[in-house]
Order: sequence, then C-alpha cells, then structure tokens
Amino acid sequence: MKTPLVVTRRMTEHPADSHTIERYEATGGYSQAKRALGMTREQLVEEVKTSGLLGRGGAAFSTGLKWSFLAEERPSYVVINADESEPGTFKDRQLMERDPHQMVEGTIITAVANQAHLAFIYVRGEYAKPARRVQKAIEEAYAKGYLGSGIFGSDYELDMVVHLGAGAYICGEETALINSLEGVRGEPRLKPPYFPAAKGLYMKPTIVNNVETVSNLPHILAMGAEGYATLTPSEDSGTFLMSLSGHVARPGNYELHHGITWRELIYETGGGIPDGRELKAWIPGGASAPWFVPDRHLDLEITKEATNAAGSMLGSGAIIVVDDTTCMVRATERIVRFFAHESCGQCTPCREGTTWLEQVLRRIEDGMGRPVDLALMLDVSDGISVGLDWPPKMTTICPLGPSAISPILALRDYFSDEVQEHVRLGGCPFREVRAHA
Amino acid sequence: MPELVRITIDGREVEVPAGDLLIKAAQDQGTYIPRFCWHERMRPVGMCRMCLVEVETERGKALVTACTYPVAEGISVETSSDVARRSQEAVLEFLLANHPLDCPVCDKGGECPLQDQALSHGPGESRFVEIKRSFEKPIPISDLVLLDRERCILCDRCTRFSDEISGDPLIQFLDRGNKTEVNTFPDHPFSSYFSGNTVQICPVGALTARPYRFRARPWDLAEVESSSLFDTAHPRIAIHASQNEVLRHQGVDHDGINHGWLSDKARFGFQYLGSEERLTRPLIRRGSDFEEIGWSEALDIVADRLGLIKGEGGGEALAVIGGAQGSNEDAYSLSKMARVALGTNNVDCRMEDTLASQFLAGTVDRARIDDLDDADTILVWGPDLKEEHPTLYLRVRRAAQDLGATLVLVHPWANGLDDRAAHKLTYRPGGGFDLLAEVQAGRHPEVSTALGADKVVALVGMASHADGPHLAEAVAALARDAAASARILPLAGRANTYGALDMGLAPDLLPGRVGIDGSGNGWSDDAWGPTPRNPGKGTGEILSSLIEGDIRGLLLVGADPLRDVPHPLLTADALRSLDYAVSIDLFLNDSNRGADVVLPALGFAEKEGTATNVEGRVQKLNKIRPGPGQAREDWSIIEDIATRMGAPLGLASAEGINKEISTVAPVYQGITWDHLEWDSPDGALAPLEGSSPLNHIPVALVTGNRPGPGLGLHISRVMYDDGVRLRHSPALRPLAPGPVAMIHPDDAASLQVAPGDRVTLRTEHGEGRAVVVVDPAATPRTVRIPFNQADGPRLGTAPVVSVEKAGT
Amino acid sequence: MTHPRPESHTPDPGFRERSIWSKETQERAARIVARYPLRRSAVMPLLYLAMREEGYLTDEGMEEVSRWCGITPAQVYAVASFYTMYKREPVGRYLISCCTSISCMLLGSDEVMHSIEESSGVPHGETDEEGLVSVEHAECIGACGGAPALQVNYELIEGVTPEKARDLVQWLRAARPEVLDGDEMQQLFGTRRSFDWAIREEEGAIGPYPAFGPLGTVGES
Ligand SMILES: Cc1cc2nc3c(=O)[nH]c(=O)nc-3n(C[C@H](O)[C@H](O)[C@H](O)COP(=O)(O)O)c2cc1C
Ligand code: SF4
Ligand code: FES
Repeated sequence: MKTPLVVTRRMTEHPADSHTIERYEATGGYSQAKRALGMTREQLVEEVKTSGLLGRGGAAFSTGLKWSFLAEERPSYVVINADESEPGTFKDRQLMERDPHQMVEGTIITAVANQAHLAFIYVRGEYAKPARRVQKAIEEAYAKGYLGSGIFGSDYELDMVVHLGAGAYICGEETALINSLEGVRGEPRLKPPYFPAAKGLYMKPTIVNNVETVSNLPHILAMGAEGYATLTPSEDSGTFLMSLSGHVARPGNYELHHGITWRELIYETGGGIPDGRELKAWIPGGASAPWFVPDRHLDLEITKEATNAAGSMLGSGAIIVVDDTTCMVRATERIVRFFAHESCGQCTPCREGTTWLEQVLRRIEDGMGRPVDLALMLDVSDGISVGLDWPPKMTTICPLGPSAISPILALRDYFSDEVQEHVRLGGCPFREVRAHA
Repeated sequence: MPELVRITIDGREVEVPAGDLLIKAAQDQGTYIPRFCWHERMRPVGMCRMCLVEVETERGKALVTACTYPVAEGISVETSSDVARRSQEAVLEFLLANHPLDCPVCDKGGECPLQDQALSHGPGESRFVEIKRSFEKPIPISDLVLLDRERCILCDRCTRFSDEISGDPLIQFLDRGNKTEVNTFPDHPFSSYFSGNTVQICPVGALTARPYRFRARPWDLAEVESSSLFDTAHPRIAIHASQNEVLRHQGVDHDGINHGWLSDKARFGFQYLGSEERLTRPLIRRGSDFEEIGWSEALDIVADRLGLIKGEGGGEALAVIGGAQGSNEDAYSLSKMARVALGTNNVDCRMEDTLASQFLAGTVDRARIDDLDDADTILVWGPDLKEEHPTLYLRVRRAAQDLGATLVLVHPWANGLDDRAAHKLTYRPGGGFDLLAEVQAGRHPEVSTALGADKVVALVGMASHADGPHLAEAVAALARDAAASARILPLAGRANTYGALDMGLAPDLLPGRVGIDGSGNGWSDDAWGPTPRNPGKGTGEILSSLIEGDIRGLLLVGADPLRDVPHPLLTADALRSLDYAVSIDLFLNDSNRGADVVLPALGFAEKEGTATNVEGRVQKLNKIRPGPGQAREDWSIIEDIATRMGAPLGLASAEGINKEISTVAPVYQGITWDHLEWDSPDGALAPLEGSSPLNHIPVALVTGNRPGPGLGLHISRVMYDDGVRLRHSPALRPLAPGPVAMIHPDDAASLQVAPGDRVTLRTEHGEGRAVVVVDPAATPRTVRIPFNQADGPRLGTAPVVSVEKAGT
Repeated sequence: MTHPRPESHTPDPGFRERSIWSKETQERAARIVARYPLRRSAVMPLLYLAMREEGYLTDEGMEEVSRWCGITPAQVYAVASFYTMYKREPVGRYLISCCTSISCMLLGSDEVMHSIEESSGVPHGETDEEGLVSVEHAECIGACGGAPALQVNYELIEGVTPEKARDLVQWLRAARPEVLDGDEMQQLFGTRRSFDWAIREEEGAIGPYPAFGPLGTVGES
C-alpha cells in the first residue's frame, strides 16, 4: 500500500510556497485550531487518545494519554520540542522549514486542549533557517489574530515564543529542556515525576510534544480520530516521517506507515546500497538504538512492537545504514563520542563511563587495542546499563548514558571478530578499503 | 509521630516513617547504603548514583537511587543484590578512574568517604589505563577555601549549599559532560560568609580550608563538642585539637539550631586562642608601661584599690562592664561579686547599642528558633541577620524559601534576605518610628495582612544606630497588636548576652530573670544575703558618671568600650577620667591599654561552663586545651578579689557555680552539667514562664532622632569586626572591610567620588575618614558605615552625615 | 525536587542605568525578558544578544546578562558554559562548523574537515590570525540526508566535498560577505540536500551566532 501523505502533503503538492500562510490557509489551514476552540478539553483529549497518535520524539508514548495526565494546577504550559539533535534525525527540520504553520496550528490545538496560554517552541540553536521560518509563521499568525489575545475571535489568549537552544543534545530530553527554558543548566531532572504534565516548567503542569507529533493534530481533527486511526493498516496509527541516511542510494525523509519491512525501506524506498556494495548493518531508530543486521532483521516488520521485541526501538525514526566497507569500531567510536560529548555530566556512570569507552575505542582504532578491551568495554557498559539488556536497566538519571551502549552491544553480538582483528593487526583493517573507496 | 510503613530491607521486616527517603530509613535501621551526593540537610539530587539499590514494587523490580526514593508500604529493598552490588562497584570504579591517588598528602585522608566506601563498596582495583583528567593545581576560590578540581567528584554538595542554603550561588558547575568542573565566575571569588561549610561537606579532599590545610592528620586529632560563642544561636560545634592547639571547628548537626552549618566566623574564628599575643601573666601599670607581676600581688593590689574606692564613695562609685562573651558561670560570679563584694548594681553586659535588658531577658512570648519552621509570617525588623546572626539567617532563609513562610523585611539598606522577602520596606535611618506609625495606620496593607496571620514570629533588634534601641520594643508591640499569638525574638549583639542577663549582669536584674528588687519569681533573699536593691546604671550612664566623677573605679571583663560603644568621644573621655581600672581579658585592647591592672583570663575551649542562646537554650561548653601561661578562669579571679575584699563568694569550681545557679536562679532550676551531659545533650530550654513576673512593658514610642535632609547615615555591624578575637585570627582578619563608606552609584556621581577615594564624614557626634565603596544594591541618599572596623570613622548615632572628598 | 529553584539574587534595581549595552540593545533585551514568566528564563537569548554585541561572550557580557536576569554572574556562566554555541573566546567573522557525526562520517566528513583545516590553516577550535575564519568540528547538525554537511555561521551547506570545502574557505576570504546567504552558499559549494528548500529567502546570518537577518532579530518579537 502506498502511504497517504499527511504531514508532508502540502510541501509535496506545493513545493514552492508550502511555508507561507497564504498557501497554508488556501489548503484548509487554521480551520482546525478554530474548531478546537469550540471543543472541551475532555473532547480534545478523547479525540487524540482515540486517534492512537504516538509521540514522535522517540518514546512513542500515546499523546492523548499524556495529555490526560495534566495536573489540575494552573497556569499550565505547552512546550514544543524542536531540539532535534539525535544523529541521523532531520525530519523536524523539514517540517519547520517547509510547513511551519502546520506546526503552529498543532501547537495552538495542544495549548487549547491543555488550557495553556503560553507555548514555547524550543528550537535547537543550529537550526537557523527553521527557526527563522517558525518565527515568521508565528508573526503572521499573530497578525491574523490566530495568536495573542482573543484568538480566532474567541476570548482565548495564547502567546507563542521561539526559544533557541545553544548546542546541547541533552536539551532534547524533556526535563532538561524545561531546565534550559527556566534558565538553569540543561540537566535532566529526577524521575518521578515521570511526566512534566505533573510538574514541569516552573514546577507547573507542562505538556512537551515533538514537532512531528503536533504537526499531525490538525489532520486528526480534520479527518476525525477514527479516520486517522484507520488511515493505514498498521497497528501504529498514522504515518511516520523516517529519516534515511548513510550508505543508501536515496537518503532523505520519507513519510511512511508502519508495517513495511526493513528490506522494503532500505532497498525500495532508499534505493539500496550504492556502488554495488553490501548492506552490513543499520540503526533502526536514531543513534541511541541498538543496531540491526541483515541476516536477522531484514524481513522484520517495522512496527513499534516488533522492533522492541527484537531488542531495539524506532526512537526518533532515523535509519542509518552502513555498508560493508565500514569499520564498525570507527562507527562505534563516532557514536560513543557523540554521547560522551553530549552527556550533561551529572551522573557518574554517564560522565565517566562514556568518555572511558570513547578513549578505549579510539585506542583500538589507533592500533593500541588489547585483547581484554572488548571485555573491559562490556564491563564499563554494564556499569551504565546493568545486565546489558534492552530496554536498559539504567544506573543513570536519563537514557542518554545507556544509549551510548547500543553500538557496543553490536560489537559484542555481531562484530567481535572485527574488534579482535584491530587488536591483532595493531590498526584498522578498513583503512585501505577506505582509501580506495 | 509520623505514620509508619512496613518495608523489607535485605530480608528484614522493619517499620519506618512514611515518606522518609529510603537511604535515611535504611540508615536509621542500621543498614548503611553508600552515598556521596546525598546530604540530609539538602535537596536530594541523585547524581552520584552511588546509592543504587534494587526495590521490588508492585510494578516489578527496579534499580533506584535510595537517596531519592521515598519509602512506601510493602516495598522490599535489596541493598547488595548482584545488580545493586555491580552498580555500586561500577560507580566507585568510575569515580576513581579520574581521581588522583594523592591520598597521602590529602587533608581528607583518613576521614574520606571516597576512601572509606572504595574499601567497603568498591571493586578493589581500577582498570582505567587511559590518561586521567587534569586541572591546574589548587585554585583559591576564596580567601578561605581552596579547590583541587581533579579530586572533585561533582557531587553537587558545595554548589547546592551555596545556592540553596546560604543563598550565595557563587560556585557553580561549569562546562558539561566529562569536562564539568566546579568553579567561580572569573575574578568573582566565593566570598560567602558560609564558605567553610563546603569544606566540611565535601566528600573528598577537593575543597580545603586554608587555616587547616596540611596542618594535621585526622587520626591525630582530639575532639570535644561545644557551642560556638560567635553567634547568638550558639551553633553546635566539634572542636578538634592536636598537641593542645585548636586546629578546626566542625559544625555538628543540632536539629534545633544550626543543622550542622556554621558561619565562617564561627568556624575559623579560633586562631586567636593560640596567638602569641595572648596575656599570660598579670600586668600592672608602671608609668606609661606595663610590668609583669605575680598573681597574688596583683590580686592584693586590685582588692585593696577597689576596697578603698568603695570605702570612700560606697558601692555606687564602682562599676562593672562586660561579661557577655564568656560562660554563664563566669557571668554569675561577676554578677554576684558586683553585688556582694563591690556593693553596686552598676553592672552591664550590654554595650550601648543593644536593647533594654528587661526586654531581652523578660520577653514572655519569646520565640523559639524552631517556631520559624512553621511560621506563616516572619517579620525581621532589626539587624541584617546575615551579618550579625548567621544561624538565624540560615533558618529564616530556609523558612521563607522552602517552608512557606511569608518574610516581611524592614531595613534601611540592602539586606542578606532581600531575595527571599515577600515584602521589603526600606526607610531612612532615624525614620523607623515614622514608618512604624505608617504601618500601624494601615498604610502598608500587605504588611498588615501578613502580620495578622496565625503564626507570626517577629525578630526585632537594632537595625541602625540612628534608630536607637527602643524601636525594637515598639516593633514588638506592633506585632503583638496585630496578632496576640505573635512570638517575639529580641536580638542582642553579643553571643552570650542572654546568658549574662539571665545571670543578672544588668543594672536592673538579678539571676534567673528576677527584677532587681528581688521580689517574687522565686528569688530567695537568702541566696546572696543583703545586696543593694536600687537599680544601678547601664553602660551609657556608667560612662557619663565616670566623666562626672560619680563613678571612679571600673572593672572591665572581656570588654573594649572604646570599640563597642557608639559614642566615641564619650567613651574616650570616660576612660581618661576614671581613677582606677582593672581588666580581665585575653588580650590587651584599646580600652584596657590604659587600665591599672590587667589580669589574664582563660578563653573559649580552655574552660568548661554553660551558655544560653537567643532562644534561651542552655548548652554545655567544653574544654580541650589548657590556657597559656598563668591565665585563669574568670570566676576564680573574681572569687579571689572578692575574698581579699572581705566578702568571699563561696565559689570553688565552675561546676559548683553551675549547681548554685540551678538552685538560686528560678528559671535555671535543674539545668545542671549532669543534666546537660546525660539527659539533654541538645541543651535545655530555660522555661519562659519564669520570665513573667518581670513582665516587661514596652516603652512608649520614642521619637528622638529624625531623618534630616542630606545624606542619611546607616551604621550597623558587619560579620567581620575588629574585635580582639578576630584581630588575632590571621585567617579572618583580612576579611574585615576596614573603614569604608558604602554608597549608591548615583550618590557617588553627585559627590564626584569614585570607588577607592577617601572621603571625610562629619556628624554632630564626630568625624572621620573612610574609603568609598560603590554598591548598586545600596539605598540611594544613604551612606552605610560598618561599625567596629579598625580606624573607622566614629560618627555616633546621628541620622545624617555630610560627606566630602578628602584631600590626599 | 519539591520546590521551585531559588530565582533571584543580588537585587540591583537601577541596573539599567549602568548597562554596558546601547539603548537599542537594551530595548531588545527588555522585550526578550518580557516574554518569559520569570526573567531568569531570558538568560539564553540574552547570551546570544551579548555575543552579538561583542562578537563573542565576554565576562562583561555575562555580568550584564546576570543583572538582567537577577542571578549571579556565576549562575550565568554555569549556563553559558553548558552549551557549545556560546563562545567564550573571540571567534572569527565566519565560523565553519563541519559535522563529523556518524551519518556524515560515513560519507566522508573527516576528509572534508581535513580539507577545511588544511586550506584555512586553522585547526579545530581555533581562529585565523586575522580573526576572519574559525573552524570547528560539530556533532550532528541535522543534515544527515545531505551528508557530509557543514555550517557557516549556522547557515547550512549540504553535500560538501573536500574540494568544495576548500573553495568555500577561499571564497569566504576573498568575498567577505556582510550577510551570509545559505541558499547562495549551497548553490556554490553544496550538492545533494536532505530535501528541497523551496524558494530563496532574503535573510542570512550576520555573525557566528543565531541572530539572523540584517537586524539579527530571530525569536525576539
Ligand atoms: C537524551 C534524549 C534526547 C531527546 N531528544 C529529543 C529531541 O531532540 N526531540 C524530541 O522531540 N524528543 C527528544 N527526546 C524525547 C523527549 O524527552 C520527549 O519524550 C518528547 O519530546 C515528547 O514528545 P512526544 O511525546 O511528542 O514524542 C529525547 C529524549 C532523550 C532521553
Ligand atoms: S545519563 Fe548522562 S545525560 Fe542523562 S542525566 Fe545522567 S549524565 Fe546527564
Ligand atoms: S547518594 Fe544517591 S545518588 Fe548520590
């Protein structure tokens, strides 16, 4: 089945001006936000629950359910997580650049449903152009009376503020993001409370949702919860933006439904591995997710359940594909380096462990590996994620630390020979291959 | 009693208070869960991850940090299951990966939680072969504290303390991830009055204190508990000494007082004890110099001269000033000697800037420190607590910040609690009564509302010299009028003023909060025999009587009125005019340098005794070292003089005096050393009921001073003074601001002065010079002069001042 | 955590009179502060403003921010040093950030980075003598579909090769544009993109911080 386009329809059909308010309104835009103002909080929450909408920030938690957790205290706040920084992920950028009003309308619906009068859009600092587009969209919405006091002629007041991050992946974790917004260091908060919906920004009830999540909301209201839930044959309602990168012929964002196989995604959608090389492995859901390999996982269905059952996750929807010329030690080092660099540093295991792993991996790649190093890395990993299971038994406050373990598990499970080869050779066996590639 | 829940710890079923954190509940049940970041007095952060344990709940088994996990009915905890043990060992190995192995030269060695827990909960080896993180060696982050960043394990204790407890967020986590470090803003030192606490709570040797660094190994230290006499709350301390030298004070967690915290003054202000300049032998004046003399001869001479004056002019010709810095036992002996041997009621332990003795001692609705914790409203109209009452400052801060109290702050200047005040009223020095009248007239409705609450605690005292001591009583009356249930805490200047007043060191008091006429309140005339029953003179009157010649002989006990009395000219004249002066002290000071005989006394930690704090709590003071040379306890010097004057007091030991106090002073009944040591180690609260016959009625509104046109003058104390103890404590001495005049940038501009300029200040009482400090938080049109600084301008109590740039 | 964190410290009521910023910048700062329920929340945008004033984040800039936010300079520093985009050392007019995270690495970003360092003579984390070009490698910049990618003053160029990277450095040094236009640079030095960018925009970067457009006003209204 060909996936019906939802969040990328406008940009696909009107590539030249999908980001303008004129085009947005000409294609039905802002009518659902207006409708939402006539609905009660209960109706809206129920509608979104029924739609089966799952959060697109990584945890795939039911959005309607999350909204229903909103504590009674007021004021409440809405925060849109546009910090997209997970390696391999670039879908929110496209949504913000190409259809910013869709996100703004989704945010208005979220705010109305959660009785918030102030919404923040937390955009990662490096996203210059998306931030600019979102800013412009917000200004246009203000000018039209869709934001500000008495929106859409109602007596509802809603302000929307773009807040720029400044280069810290951890601020994508929702409680770190809230701290960052409050003006303190972007360190994740202790759980519980498990959801900012109980105590979030300024210790007030707060709904944090991802850009893609809220971009779906106008469509859910437009087609009705049932319509959305049955849009595709998959268990996981709706469509998903998947970011394909690495060694594929056609990288990019694809709006797809769940239930297709990895083979279809990589070979059909992605056009296969270029230059006649072989598929070696891929990451199914952003750098945090444990790796998949062709002989075990290629014909698995892409669904939340099936992926979890196979010991990984769909996470932020980023698929990173590597071919057979890729040194897995080097790839692992690069991913671990990322997490070490982005660790906020408050938990001992994450702060010390990720850097330790990075140092060992670099040593191996540089030809100074020792036979014990793989076992050592697994022990260090065990100290961050006890038992090396999935989902991890974390010794840390947030899942960043344990995320760094994912590629090490791949080394253990599929590529231990490659590690030992480095040790034996006193160097990287792929260096030559790379030089000729 | 809190509700109990039933939980299982390592297979053992126990009952623990609901809501307790698991780490504490387990500890109280005898199971120690390792930890670094957790500190009972601070918000749990769960950062070090050392306390990981497994908990079986309805939702299955989870790995949790015990320091953030509140216990709940039915949970089962495993503190050393395979998973818990592996987690703990891993965390320790991670912590040690980058930790230097310099334990042999580290101050913390021997009392280091990292060392101890590496042994008890660690893996036993480190497999870290990479290059360790390194930082530039110790950097001073303040005048008192040094930081070795590579030893730091980033437990967030020091930073949390400075942020949440002391309210000086000057040290912070900087950078991120593996590069995270603790540090200050460039060139902004961690100049907190409470910095030493961070050294004490640092679980490794990353923070060290200059006065203690490399001075001792913990296993060589002798220890005794006591209470600090640098703070009216008498925070509990442990005194550590080696080879008879006091090397440090550590805060002891006293639930009712200091929660383990100390001001730097209380923590580091002990060096004077070992000063080379301590008096070791009696001195007698020979011309313009002193000469050493034997004790017996000195005492003979003193008794003889005092007896002579008494014979000629009666007891009224003699006076006693001082006694508020020592123990209750010493104060009692002084009080008794004045009445019994000297035959005078001219005794005063307060200096001129403090409140009425009957108000301080006889407030029946006196607040207890703990009342702050459940207060709805706290009114502070008096000294800047951060400067003068650091323990109360911390407690008020906590109440306003974490416990929901509404803080109403009235002060002429920026105040250490401004950032936690719900309402702050600022007024021009001298304008206190006018403001009070405004509040009474309902012109500050938010304050009136706050004062009308159920549980109100009012801390009242001298905010500024210009408003004089009576304002505090009027403020107390205001609070009582607004809410009859209001509790009042009158604040005095010196640490043991409360004890000394309870011992009768005031012209109108006898021991045990008894009026000078001795009537009622359980005072027995047999106790001391016949003594004068007419009220004597207070410090100010004593000084003017010295000038007039009505008083001719003066006994100074641990007192330096030249420094401590605001009216400089009055004091100087008085000391010049007198016939005969005797001083009992630790050091020579400005005032006793002109005395006829100076007798060396033992100091803090050199004698046993008791002291009474601001809320009336009596605690034991203990001894850890002998005094220098021939220095003696005050009471024994006093007894000897009295005996030689033919009126022996019958005092034979400090403990004996304590027993006498507990029998003759009504409210001290039963508060004996034995009681304090065995039954009530946290001290005993002298009951308030006994104060009632004193029935102090607040004075009527007095409007003496009035703010005039021109620059207002705000004179008040700051923490680091130029008293003898700090003057002889090398670590703290440089911290005194010295003769400065603080002004607002706008005033600096209109006076055309810049920071560092010297200015001349003049009032109707005196003049002097000071160095300009420009403070953006200052109250415009007001100059602030810290009182009690070396060479400071002596400006009296005038409300206005003229300032001009001084020629060079 | 059961209580909100302590907020304000060292009240300094008249701080605006002593501001080191121009009137115009102060007005912008006031607008920024007004957007947040608590002024401490304005610390991040104000840090960008401080960078814009002096080109990088100076101690004085952080102290100014501390006064606007009612927190201590140390608290501002704690936040500023947490993020990679606040530069506490002087930065060149053009900051080249070359992504070397996994997706870009797979497609040759190490070679691109090497080419930038070599052709500019500026190693990672440093600035040339003239103060024109600074070079750093960056973690994932969200352009994995167009890997390898880099940013100049946070304007994105995707599908970069080592050769094009060298040309870019030369072009920056020769053309010295006032405002960097991402679309133009993409056309000159990029190839494959993560997705189509639609029409061109008027705005571009004016410095090594995200304050876009000739007025640098993103996120201020
Ligand atoms: C380390 C870490 C990084 C994250 N980064 C992002 C991110 O960049 N964008 C995002 O939307 N969610 C991110 N998340 C997930 C958020 O915490 C949160 O679950 C999400 O924003 C909720 O929105 P949703 O329910 O709409 O998915 C991250 C989580 C973790 C633990
Ligand atoms: S796991 Fe890492 S990133 Fe997450 S809170 Fe702990 S130290 Fe910070
Ligand atoms: S003591 Fe519990 S995490 Fe540090």
